[in-house]
Amino acid sequence: MTVSARPITSELPFLETKLYLPKWSADLVSRLRLIDLIHPKRKLTLVSAPAGFGKTTLLAEWAAAVPTRPVAWVSLDQSDNDPALFWTYLITALQKIQPSLGERSLSLLQSPQPPSIESVLMTLLNELTAVEEDCVLILDDYHVIETQAIHGGIGFLLGHLPPQMHLIIASRADPPLSLARLRSRGELTELRVSDLRFTPDEAAAFLNQGMGLEISAVEVSALEQRTEGWIAGLQLAALSMQGREDIPDFVAAFSGDDRYIVDYLLEEVLQRQPERVRRFLLQTAILERLSGSLCDAVTDQNDGQEMLETLERGNLFIIPLDNKRQWYRYHHLFADVLQAHALMEWPERMPGLHGRAGEWYEQNGLFSDAIRHALAAHDFERAAGLIEQMWPTMRRRQRETTVLGWITSLPDSLIRNRPVLSVAYALVLLNDGQLDAVEARLQDAERCLAADSQDPLAVVVTDDTQLQSLPASIANARAYRAQALWDVSSTVTYAQQALELLPEDEEYERGTTAALLGLAYWTSGRPEAGYRSFAEGLAIFKQMGLPQIAIGGTLILAQMSMAQGRLHRAINICEQSLQLAAEQGGPVLPGTPELYLALSEVRYEQGDLAAASQVLLSGETLRQQASLSGAKFLWWVVQARLKAAEGDLETALDQLHEAERLYHRASIPVPDVRPVAALRARLWVRQGRLTEALGWVSDRGLSVDDELSYLHEYEHLTLARVLIAQYRRDCIDNALDQAIGLLTRLLETAEAEERTGSIIEILVVQALAYEAKGDLAGAISSLERALTLAEPEGYVRIFVEPGTPMMQLLREAITRSITPTYTTRLLTALETWGQPQDDAPTASVVPSPQPLIEPLSQRELDVLRLLNTELSGPEIARELVVALSTVRTHTKRIYSKLNVTNRRAAVKRAAELNLI
Amino acid sequence: MNQLRSPAKNQHPLEQYEICIKGYLDHRWSCWFEGLAIALKDNGETLLSGPVVDQAALYGLLIKVRDLGLPLVSVMRIQPEQTENSDIQKGEQT
Repeated sequence: MTVSARPITSELPFLETKLYLPKWSADLVSRLRLIDLIHPKRKLTLVSAPAGFGKTTLLAEWAAAVPTRPVAWVSLDQSDNDPALFWTYLITALQKIQPSLGERSLSLLQSPQPPSIESVLMTLLNELTAVEEDCVLILDDYHVIETQAIHGGIGFLLGHLPPQMHLIIASRADPPLSLARLRSRGELTELRVSDLRFTPDEAAAFLNQGMGLEISAVEVSALEQRTEGWIAGLQLAALSMQGREDIPDFVAAFSGDDRYIVDYLLEEVLQRQPERVRRFLLQTAILERLSGSLCDAVTDQNDGQEMLETLERGNLFIIPLDNKRQWYRYHHLFADVLQAHALMEWPERMPGLHGRAGEWYEQNGLFSDAIRHALAAHDFERAAGLIEQMWPTMRRRQRETTVLGWITSLPDSLIRNRPVLSVAYALVLLNDGQLDAVEARLQDAERCLAADSQDPLAVVVTDDTQLQSLPASIANARAYRAQALWDVSSTVTYAQQALELLPEDEEYERGTTAALLGLAYWTSGRPEAGYRSFAEGLAIFKQMGLPQIAIGGTLILAQMSMAQGRLHRAINICEQSLQLAAEQGGPVLPGTPELYLALSEVRYEQGDLAAASQVLLSGETLRQQASLSGAKFLWWVVQARLKAAEGDLETALDQLHEAERLYHRASIPVPDVRPVAALRARLWVRQGRLTEALGWVSDRGLSVDDELSYLHEYEHLTLARVLIAQYRRDCIDNALDQAIGLLTRLLETAEAEERTGSIIEILVVQALAYEAKGDLAGAISSLERALTLAEPEGYVRIFVEPGTPMMQLLREAITRSITPTYTTRLLTALETWGQPQDDAPTASVVPSPQPLIEPLSQRELDVLRLLNTELSGPEIARELVVALSTVRTHTKRIYSKLNVTNRRAAVKRAAELNLI
Repeated sequence: MNQLRSPAKNQHPLEQYEICIKGYLDHRWSCWFEGLAIALKDNGETLLSGPVVDQAALYGLLIKVRDLGLPLVSVMRIQPEQTENSDIQKGEQT
């Protein structure tokens, strides 16, 4: 059976009610003793207590106490466990403080290819730093958050919170943040049960003034003891006592009873309500939010709005979510208890209630809620259909985590009969890095597609517009998975399948296929073929109006170009992409700073270390200002190579250590053609730490007899260098012959695959091996070939790095008139190579490559520029039209970020970092 | 302990847990707590006991306890072979 339905393309709804700051009314018991405990100058206030202790009400009163203080409020719920959604709500809430606040971080978050959350948060922190006045962010019901990545993000935010910002978290459980550290630094205020429970005085005020009862002090004290100051319990008790004549008897009976307070009292309260109110409460308890119309749909009545207002007047567990009397919610504790009652009373009616709620949400375009209720109603068919329709929208919005949660709630048998859903499942699994689980889902989809004509009853498709491109999507998913495992031949096979299956107009999948093929060719040692295919893929994305993908992919194109020995082309494509990025305007696109990274690498290969450092710094500065993390480890690798070129091998090794720490063999389809550990082994060789280098060889299980593959080429070349060094130290002929044999085989392979970049490096190492052996003719022959190939592209580093042995060979080359101009240039470069830059003429323009841990905000940069003038503090304040204290705050932050203690040092360091 | 459900014969026996909370909980809550048996103790505490599929399910139950504001006294796993004499152990440990 094929049921057709339109795909859902509407925007995902944004629930304004979640950002509503609850109203505090003076009828409630004022809790000044607690209000005074909250210090907005500390980083965090944690209000941690079970349900029903008045956490939300307390914070509402606190916010109302200083109405001029800007407050951003987020009421969290289960669905906020999707990080993209969580941060969207959080940043949007902050915009209540200042409408432009968080614009950049929000646009990053919602960009088609969002950068890492950490990058988004860095941007957000920069934006927050620019806020002039003190402000507060309140996260209510934080206990619903279970996603570790969100806790990590909040921890990061806390660690870098600007001084004018205060965070308040209300939760039923302590959040997994470093509370002890905050506590020991005096940055944490805690309000816990012992603080929150009503004192006898507060209980008396609540019962007598708040709830309009007239209860004696003795009875108040009895109630307070029985409930242990639990406010929800006292509220239920008050509701039970309203209109009662026999209050002393009631209090005595309640006090002498061991039952769970809510069990005891809720029964009382419900029994005292008119039947229609009682019924309404139990029917609507399943709703996370209530509106008149939604309640009407669920109860099949038409008095929803009236009932909600009745409940509000009667203090019956209901909380307004706006000031229009439109949306409400039940107090969470009572919603749970009411639901439990409903479940006991009418277990058979619950699915029907959920079903009607789901239908209402679907008709009102709130599909996520519709899916949630359909799942709760166990109406899995309906849920599956909705998920299928939502999938294209969710995919474009990077909401794969939510979709994964939905799909895993469905019975497996049902997913397996739905080809569109099965492919969606496979793609969210790929996105989640669960590579092993993907294939079974794709096979299910294929089985369905094959069965469609013969056994149409078994196969279900809700959104058949996705059906057409399904075979190509399946092939692409397989290609992606294979490439993430660096299984080249399978990648190519599946990508070619995808090409045959692609519908004419399916450009996105076509671009994906071409890019995956490119990566596969590169992985297999054919960077030129890889370049062509990858560039074709990027061109498709660019044509589709997705230049950000083309820019983001340029780093890979540049790496392929370098592997091919095409340094000039690498420069050209990076500069073109920089131009393209500049044309886009708006926030810095992910991948743009990495263009500088690639440019720096090329300059380094061409021996222009000053330019390499400068370009790297420009990229680093841009990366920090735009807060884009990208492939973080690569930045450390490039820095380490530059440091090593300056002769500072120890720092370089530290930087490689950092690179290694940041590198994760993620389930992504990009090959690691230059493992950090191999680069470290090369530095060890240069330091004469042969034991460590040999340790690396044996750890990696490398041998000269290994079967050769491009993925291990860099390691094998490193092995050859280790063997040559071993021969120079121990004079073991065997080691050298082994190295020469390995190099000969490496050269044959690289020549067969026409990989000029590899050929040049292999020839250089070969020349060194022959030189070590005393075979000058052999050495010069290899060197001559290398020089001839390298001259047009301007390679320098590879010839000058080996030092003395190469110097002798180059001098010999000059006497033989081999590429004389080039060789002379190399000899000159060799003389200063590997020496600290202080001695080099370029010293003044090569600053410390140690980056700022925390970037400066725009405002701090403004202040910094003025610090580099003769202006005094008050003059700077006047210039920027802010208070002197604000300037001082900024200045303090600047000093701490630059790790300096005075103005002069700050200016000096800023100049080194090209910040001014 | 005879209230505990015995697991299906062809499956691995499920872990048995006892969750002790302060206050008497009505028997009707059994459904809310995924069918755990509810037993009232003389000291004003309630024992929720029965099979729990896995740790995730256990945490789910504990969160339900937390969300009702029920004071948690103890959580104990009962070894299946100890089931017969666990009444005694229970008395000692709570």
